[in-house]
Amino acid sequence: MRQAGRRWTLATLAIPAVVVLAVVPAARAAQPYDGKTITIIVGYKPGGGYDRTARLLARHLPKHIPGKPTIIVQNMPGANSIVAANHVYNLARPDGLTIGTFNRNLPLAQLTRVEGVRFDITKFAWIGSAASESTILTLHSDLPYKTLDDLRKAEKPIVIGTTGPGANTHDFPLLLKELLGFNFKIVSGYSSSADIMLAVERKEVDGRAGSYTSLRPFIDRGLVRPVVRARATEPGIEKLPVDEDLATAPRAKAIMALRSGPEIVGRPYVMPPGTPDALVKIVREAFVRVARDPELVDEATRAKMEIEYVSDVEALKIIREVLGQPRDVVDEFSKYIKFGD
Amino acid sequence: MLDALFEGLLLILHWKAFAFMLLGVGLGFWVGLLPGLGGGTTLALMLPFTYTMSPAEAFAFLLGMHSVVATTGDITSVLFGVPGEGTTAATVLDGYAMAKKGEAGRALGAALMSSLVGAVVGALALALAIPVVRPLVLTFGSPELFMLAMVGIAFIVSLSGEGRGGLRRGFLAGGLGLLCAMVGQDPQAGILRYSLGLLYLWDGLDIVPVLVGIFAIPEIIDLAVRGTAIAGDVSYGRLGKGVTEGIKDTFRHFGLTIRCSLIGTFIGIMPGLGGGVAQWLAYGHATQSARDADERKGFGQGDVRGVLGPGAANNSKEGGALIPTVAFGVPGSSSMAILLGGFFLLGLVPGPDMLTKHLPLTLSMVWTIVLANIITVGASLVFINQLAKLTTIRAHLLIPFIVLLVFIGSYTANNSYGDLVAMLVFGALGYAMVAAGWPRAPFILGLVLGKLAENYLYISTTRYGAAWLGRPVVVVLFLLAVLVIAYPFVQARRSRRRAGARCAS
Repeated sequence: MRQAGRRWTLATLAIPAVVVLAVVPAARAAQPYDGKTITIIVGYKPGGGYDRTARLLARHLPKHIPGKPTIIVQNMPGANSIVAANHVYNLARPDGLTIGTFNRNLPLAQLTRVEGVRFDITKFAWIGSAASESTILTLHSDLPYKTLDDLRKAEKPIVIGTTGPGANTHDFPLLLKELLGFNFKIVSGYSSSADIMLAVERKEVDGRAGSYTSLRPFIDRGLVRPVVRARATEPGIEKLPVDEDLATAPRAKAIMALRSGPEIVGRPYVMPPGTPDALVKIVREAFVRVARDPELVDEATRAKMEIEYVSDVEALKIIREVLGQPRDVVDEFSKYIKFGD
Repeated sequence: MLDALFEGLLLILHWKAFAFMLLGVGLGFWVGLLPGLGGGTTLALMLPFTYTMSPAEAFAFLLGMHSVVATTGDITSVLFGVPGEGTTAATVLDGYAMAKKGEAGRALGAALMSSLVGAVVGALALALAIPVVRPLVLTFGSPELFMLAMVGIAFIVSLSGEGRGGLRRGFLAGGLGLLCAMVGQDPQAGILRYSLGLLYLWDGLDIVPVLVGIFAIPEIIDLAVRGTAIAGDVSYGRLGKGVTEGIKDTFRHFGLTIRCSLIGTFIGIMPGLGGGVAQWLAYGHATQSARDADERKGFGQGDVRGVLGPGAANNSKEGGALIPTVAFGVPGSSSMAILLGGFFLLGLVPGPDMLTKHLPLTLSMVWTIVLANIITVGASLVFINQLAKLTTIRAHLLIPFIVLLVFIGSYTANNSYGDLVAMLVFGALGYAMVAAGWPRAPFILGLVLGKLAENYLYISTTRYGAAWLGRPVVVVLFLLAVLVIAYPFVQARRSRRRAGARCAS
């Protein structure tokens, strides 16, 4: 009697347990992000382009992820975002709750063996890129130079203001000067690209390079006009001559391609290595959808930002291309370009 | 112009805009009080909330918040010797010294009232400068900015102690500051300087942990050693009475307050100098107002003029900083860069249009700065007596709280443990300097101006060769720097002669 009673009790306990065990994982698997908080780690301080993109995504991504997780942005500035990349690679748990976004030039840091790099950029669980950044060179509208040949043959050097090595304001015109023979004088040390703009306005410098996004207001205002662009493009500048096409020597082409390659992966988004594929897939799909979300598009347009998803496959392809360059090209590249902002 | 001014006022007095401004002021109040949590970060966080607002409402909210941060930042600086904001560090020198003498109320009254005067002067300057702003900003190229930095460095003379030894110490401290400014990746060749192989130092030393360490740590140690309250054993009754005295001080030294406000506005207008510079130049100028050697010694020991100067300048610079942002789309500080993002979001293109077509909106910003500060100062004055009483709490109860502020304040700079280490290292340096009688202000001046001086010098010489030395404004600024250096000596001689005359009679 007692035994039967115990058996009965066990059975009543066991049945719900089996049911629960069978049902709960199924429910969990459907909504792995239910009630969770995802942190986007940004390798820069608040206010810059990387940060603004991350905050925009953080606001619109949740509705595209099943379970509507909360998404917060955490700034982890330092060493041109090597600190953030090291953190996501080595310390963040691969539980799908950490996303990292950092300097697009980190593949170049890895390639040129910059001290302090503690990651292999190809081993992150890649989500993709949220935008590509097109670098262009603009000159003051008052200047007489019509053709690119005029830039080569300019009588006195054309002064280009830059923020410093490693930034696209600096590296892009530097290669134009060194590899294409443009008669440029590079003046570096401005504290921000906005300061260079002011220097253009007071004619201290003749022009500046930078991302099309940041230059567009000044082009629209008629202060400067675009002259040359790098490989990555955006609507409005497709017809500009491309630096790589102007080069004749294959070595020069390769070096320019090396500089501009990462720009297609302009806003890289990754998760820690070892993050379960299922979770990475959910986030990737959310990125695909959020880029087309009319609410996000509206907000981005108003903020003069461009969101365009570049898939993980494409991003990795470009990065592998960058990392696969022969040593002699890399060595010559390092002569001109220092990893930086 | 008058029409636009009136229209701007109406824009901000609309109930919705006004309500948003009050909300902003409330937020800015706390952001200012808490060290480390800076105005810039908060602006970035608050920006998304403005999407659904009209431009006038959005700027009422954002600027209302931003323009009171420096006002309440002064309160923390005075009460605890911990800079409430990177831009209110200079207030610590005399403000906290006054608190230690039991004059916290007077110092707070002076800081708040001078902040209000500064904000009004800055806003007024912004309104008046609108017609001449473009030529004014465009005259100041890199050579002029370099010379301006030199004028700043010349102020080391006024910030150093008396006598030959004092000057030597001042300049050595300034030199050390310049050296510390060199840390990080240099912007010419991209080489890492003094980074000690640490990733943390790549971007150079962050000013906030350094300021917090160098000013707060020595005071905490001093407080712990004394074991009394901050205000020693001054009774409750005396503390609060000072507030009206502090307000009166502002008007007693009204000329100085106005001059420092103008310094702040001017520095604010110059893009590329950054927010931290104005307070130190104003402090340097305040010390020049000492009539003789004895009075000079009083600075740093709790002279109210040392509170008034930076108090006024760190608020007036906000009005000034709006000018390049609005008129050129070139932000003068990181906060302004974030505000610029706000312009785009609201469909406004900063540039000449803001001074013509959208002038009322621009002027509504001016009004926001004025009104937000009047409200904050008014509100603060109500419970300032209670705040002043904090300085009568015994050390062992207060120290844990201050230490917490110091650590959080440093850590929020980069969210990095490196911030804490930097704060402790410079805290140790600060303690050593205080113990050995070395002035700390020149060090900070060197640190704040070092990078600017280096970069603008490099740009000037690569761009113009030696020709920049002959530019008229450069020459004027050079003479100004010479004057700043010579002033204490002229003053010393004059006071000696006066003393001589008194003896003779």
